[in-house]
Amino acid sequence: MASTALRAPAAPAPRRQSPLASLLAPVVLLALWQLLCLSGVFPPQVLVPPSEVGRTLSQLAETGELQRHVGESMARLALGFTIGALAGLAFGAAIALSRLAEAALAPFFFAVWQVPVIAFVPMLVIFLGIDEQFKVAIVVLAAFFPVALAAFDGVRGVPGAWLEVARVYRTRLPDLVLRILVPATLPAVVTGLRVALTRAWVVLIAAELLAADSGIGQMMEMGRQMFRIDVVLAGVVVSGVIGFLLDRGAKAVERRASRWRTA
Amino acid sequence: MIHEVLARPVPGGAAAAGGALAIRDLHKSFTIGGAPRTVLEGINLDIRPGEFVSIVGASGCGKSTLLRLIVGLDDDYRGEIRLDGERVSTTSLDRGIVFQDHRLFPWMTLAQNIELALRNTDVPAARRAQIVAEHIALVNLTGFEQAYPHQLSGGMAQRAAIARALVTEPKLLLLDEPLGALDALTRVRVQTELQRIWMAQRSTMLMVTHDVEEALYLGDRVVVMAPEPGRIRRIVEVDLPHPRDRAALLHRLKDEILAELTAAPGGPSNLVHLPGREAR
Repeated sequence: MASTALRAPAAPAPRRQSPLASLLAPVVLLALWQLLCLSGVFPPQVLVPPSEVGRTLSQLAETGELQRHVGESMARLALGFTIGALAGLAFGAAIALSRLAEAALAPFFFAVWQVPVIAFVPMLVIFLGIDEQFKVAIVVLAAFFPVALAAFDGVRGVPGAWLEVARVYRTRLPDLVLRILVPATLPAVVTGLRVALTRAWVVLIAAELLAADSGIGQMMEMGRQMFRIDVVLAGVVVSGVIGFLLDRGAKAVERRASRWRTA
Repeated sequence: MIHEVLARPVPGGAAAAGGALAIRDLHKSFTIGGAPRTVLEGINLDIRPGEFVSIVGASGCGKSTLLRLIVGLDDDYRGEIRLDGERVSTTSLDRGIVFQDHRLFPWMTLAQNIELALRNTDVPAARRAQIVAEHIALVNLTGFEQAYPHQLSGGMAQRAAIARALVTEPKLLLLDEPLGALDALTRVRVQTELQRIWMAQRSTMLMVTHDVEEALYLGDRVVVMAPEPGRIRRIVEVDLPHPRDRAALLHRLKDEILAELTAAPGGPSNLVHLPGREAR
């Protein structure tokens, strides 16, 4: 009796654990980290305790420095991701729809895709310098490939049976695209966008570490040069949290877009 | 039963103007592994306007290919297919088809799925909702307009597919094993529905099935096809008035057709019906 009373409210989401459970690992990690610092095995300048990182974070936020760096990084991500995703969508759809475009471009595309995006950094720096264009370009590249591949797979994956239905009812092109092709490819494309977004974020931080005058990555690099390990770790925490939130947000969008598929 | 049918408001009314199908010396072959393979050979068939014709045959006898040619999804054939004198070369809203799988779009509601079929017609937008509602009523799905396909049972989804195929008032409706994927009980129910719909609509219907009883129950004529290459073996007249019950009258015909389908190729019964092959 008691057990049914306890289980009843949980029924709508039977397998979802309490959000507190997901906090367990970070809390344990923080505790071990703090204990290790207190033990005095490493000098405090090298292994900064989490309490110190927290203090640094709040200081950076108070002066507005953190917000400026985060804002700079997010602006680059937004611009580069938009350009890269749109280009990837157009390119992926084009090689999926046209045999000629596929024959001409697909092998090259799949070959270039195997090159880690970071490997383009030296070339991009030579051509674009280390200014804004370089960082946006690296994000464009990071976003382009996963989205192009997802768009290609999505369009190719539309069952021929659905296209036959459209032929039988002589569905006009605008209706075919908006009512059939777009909804049919949406789940695959949104998955590609999510992968691209998290990849683009990682690559952007790496690029900022290498060459930048602002941004989360640059903040970390400056911290390293001035041996402010607390600033470096603050950057690690912030970039990790932002990456996590981007992925979570994208996953929510993905679930909505593929509702018809899982239903 | 008959009064119920007549009392029901009939979408589109007497749509039976036209719908005569004529197939002459139809020949179709595919290239499989570099070698041409004949799938249909010497098909001749005339279907009167408003007639219900069933096609039965073993798998591989090209009956689904025949429907694809008639509906216009494949125009690579020799011979002639004419609907009311006009040669079939591509798809047309005059010819509807219900596939074995319902092929409803999973992201659209039932009403949206049916409305899609009307998008390339000159039906005014204001009338469309009404026509869609009438056809949903015709297949007894009123109340499920906003349901998504995954919320419908197999039988309901197939009835929805029938409503979508009928909404453009095609002169000829092709049914490609539309009830093949349904369980036995649902199947019998949808067969009865289909008979009622056909009697209300009176468009020409051509149904492929592998269920001889279904073919007899619904068909004015049953075309028996033989495989490799697909050809018409025999055409059986089912001279019984509609609506039919599943009574003993059908049994004799059923046994006859089953005997035809299971006869060994080249056996004596084959020679009786195909004098052209006696030379062998």
